[in-house]
Amino acid sequence: MSLWRNLYRGETEFDFVRHRRRFFVISAVLIGVSLLSLLVRGLDGNVDFTGGTIVEAPNVAAADVGDFRDGLSAIGQDGARVQLRTERDESETVVVQTEALSVEDRDELLDTIAAVAGIDANDASIDAVGPTFGSEITRRAVEALIIFLIVVALFITWRFEWKMAAGALAALFHDLIITAGVYSVVGFEVTPATVIAILTILGYSLYDTVVVFDKITENVHELGSRHTFTEIANLSMNQVLMRSINTSLTSLLPIGSLLLVGSYLLGATTLREFALALFIGIAAGTYSSIFVASPLLTEWKEREPEWKRMQRRVERRSGQTTLTAAETATATATEERATGAAPRAPKQRSKRR
Amino acid sequence: MNRRPLWISLILTMAIAWGSVAAMLGVGWEPKLGLDLQGGFSVVLAAPEGTDREVLDQAVETMRRRIESLGAVQEPEISVQGDRRILVQLPGIEDRERALAAVGTTGQLTFRPVYDLQVISPAFLDGTLPLPEALTATTTTMAPEDGAATETTTTTTTTTQPPVIPDDIDPETGLSLVDDPEKLVYLNDDTGLFYALGPAFLTGIDLTGAEAGFAGVQIGAGGGWTVDPAFTSEGGAKFEEATGILSTYTYGDVRRQMAIVLDGTVISAPSIAQDVAPGEILDAGSVIITLGTDGDSQAEAEDLATVLRYGALPTTFERESEGSVSASLGSDSLRAGMDSGIAGLILVAIALIAYYRVLGLIAVLGFTVFGSLLIGIIVLLGQFQGTTLTLAGVTGIIVSIGITADSYIVFFERIKEEHRRGRALRPAVDYGFKRAFHTIVTADTVTLVGSALLWLLAIGPVKGFALTLGLATIIDVIVAYYFTRPFATLLVRSRFGEGGALSMRGAMGRPAEEGAAT
Repeated sequence: MSLWRNLYRGETEFDFVRHRRRFFVISAVLIGVSLLSLLVRGLDGNVDFTGGTIVEAPNVAAADVGDFRDGLSAIGQDGARVQLRTERDESETVVVQTEALSVEDRDELLDTIAAVAGIDANDASIDAVGPTFGSEITRRAVEALIIFLIVVALFITWRFEWKMAAGALAALFHDLIITAGVYSVVGFEVTPATVIAILTILGYSLYDTVVVFDKITENVHELGSRHTFTEIANLSMNQVLMRSINTSLTSLLPIGSLLLVGSYLLGATTLREFALALFIGIAAGTYSSIFVASPLLTEWKEREPEWKRMQRRVERRSGQTTLTAAETATATATEERATGAAPRAPKQRSKRR
Repeated sequence: MNRRPLWISLILTMAIAWGSVAAMLGVGWEPKLGLDLQGGFSVVLAAPEGTDREVLDQAVETMRRRIESLGAVQEPEISVQGDRRILVQLPGIEDRERALAAVGTTGQLTFRPVYDLQVISPAFLDGTLPLPEALTATTTTMAPEDGAATETTTTTTTTTQPPVIPDDIDPETGLSLVDDPEKLVYLNDDTGLFYALGPAFLTGIDLTGAEAGFAGVQIGAGGGWTVDPAFTSEGGAKFEEATGILSTYTYGDVRRQMAIVLDGTVISAPSIAQDVAPGEILDAGSVIITLGTDGDSQAEAEDLATVLRYGALPTTFERESEGSVSASLGSDSLRAGMDSGIAGLILVAIALIAYYRVLGLIAVLGFTVFGSLLIGIIVLLGQFQGTTLTLAGVTGIIVSIGITADSYIVFFERIKEEHRRGRALRPAVDYGFKRAFHTIVTADTVTLVGSALLWLLAIGPVKGFALTLGLATIIDVIVAYYFTRPFATLLVRSRFGEGGALSMRGAMGRPAEEGAAT
């Protein structure tokens, strides 16, 4: 049987849990590198976070960088960063970035650049950000985030159990740290769009994990009396594997096209930055829901006396059993016959749970 | 099985979704675009630390009134952001000078002498501006009908104070562009009357407050709703001097009026009472402005008192950030967002159909229902709440494609799984939906809680993102229950359920072998 056919039919038998240590090591290394880079290199916040002034103007007079520098020195802006950018239509744009300036200095800066570039000051665009507004956006987002995490932890605890909440949050931090790490290692600029993207990753990561945990909970109800938690977790992950792969694919398709269109179409840089963070985050999210959240949960649950007893019982019974989808099918079928409820009425089942 | 409720649910959902979008297209409603998609100018104003929320709201009101009164800005968006900031967005404005003039840091209140009062701008009549053709036509027909207007025209030319010719007048409207207290200006009030106004007697700083009240019949003034302004000692002196000048004109002459101007709009122009002798001074301490006795007068009096009290912004603001987005950049971004959204949708549709066959078709139709509902709600919010769709909002929509696609995948995988476990196709769909819906609701709840919290707590672009994402998750659940469920249930009972490469059984991955068994 080919892997593809098994995947398509949901009959894969990967032993995710047995290899969990290997995945933990991979994740630990990635997190370690990320944290190290975040500590050493930090993140490159753009002007929205650091505060500053960016003036963009069409360089009609075809002045060179030196001309702009001279003009800027004359008004005391020696530290300004001057860049000439060639647009798609071959025209040239000058981009000048300075630190945060007072209102008067801003006007002066604009007038100077307009004069050198040979345009009217109204044709230049200015983007001035006080250092506090960008950080307030971030601060508010982080506040919302913390409350969100608490609420979600409570929700998962209520719907499932607190150990699952802990596992889900662990996977979440895993994704967050790795995404931030990629930004730090590669040196991408962090913009408000990135903050939004990272918030979305949280959603995805939790969503993915919740789907897996939902399946595990269901399987524990159905098979918990005869199988170890490891077996059940493995089965659940195999069952949702195709869904995880498909979901990641369908999520990445629009984001991929965002990335592509964003890179080719001028002016869509915000979209591109956004898509980039999402791309990394969703990939990490899919990985962590299968390779981090559930194995962590398994590790934990297997230490519970109840599941330990189950483990010993199962070992005694047959030495080594692996629970497969095919076997579940027969198991469920037998169970049905035993209860005499065939074909089973869905309502009864949900009540019994 | 009774199929009628399923059909009703399915048809109703499609009718509401597609119908609403068709209706909106018919009426010509479009989503209200945010500044970053439309182009325009935005300024962030910061109040001092610890400013009251009430004061900020007051300032927002004042700014809105001011910007609207200055004209030329369509639908400014002014909102309080966080604890002490106000975000002013002026869509369609690319002229920075103009925008900054509109968002001055203090409101300007002036008391000015009235030189002339006309139904068209005096700037055209006194020869400051050549009469535009459109106006020439109207004046010729209007002049004979409106005797008062022609009469006052003659008085203008004999004005004792020669007007300083203003240099900044909008040639279209004949109104002054800048309300400069030092100069003669041409301004109008909100009823459309045009005023030629002299240099200000006094400004907002000369006032300490104002109270609206109801007065009985008083000496020299009829009873009714009144406004009692209070002046500083210096302001009082200026005011008294001004009344001395105005009272020299006879009662009924527009020059006996004093115009109260806020940010370029004449709010009120009370005349000195009839029984005040020429040259007589009004005592600043006891002066009242009488407005009349009817219900409207009460509102007018209260509004005027508010203007006098809060005409200037209630606190000082620092212009913290400013930024402009050119209209072309905005439309580029919008196009990029739309293009990638559509491209993404098509790719997802292809993937789903290839993988899930006829079930994939359900998903594709479901996408159009989902998209129609989402766009419909965004348009309605824009029309009635003024909610704008920003770039962040567009990204929220693109992300939600993934979320709603996932709901279908969870459902379809569940059907496959139930079928694999030995259920026949029909019960597999029915039972599969029950279980999948449980998962979808749980997972969507997490996303919804997240976006609701973000929407409530975050500021700036994050808010727009949270809004569309939150809406999308709610719509996702609705579409799953009222569209996907009946559709799949009906489909499995139709000829698309069995047989053929496109069929549901085909999507189960075991076409023939078990088809016979069930």
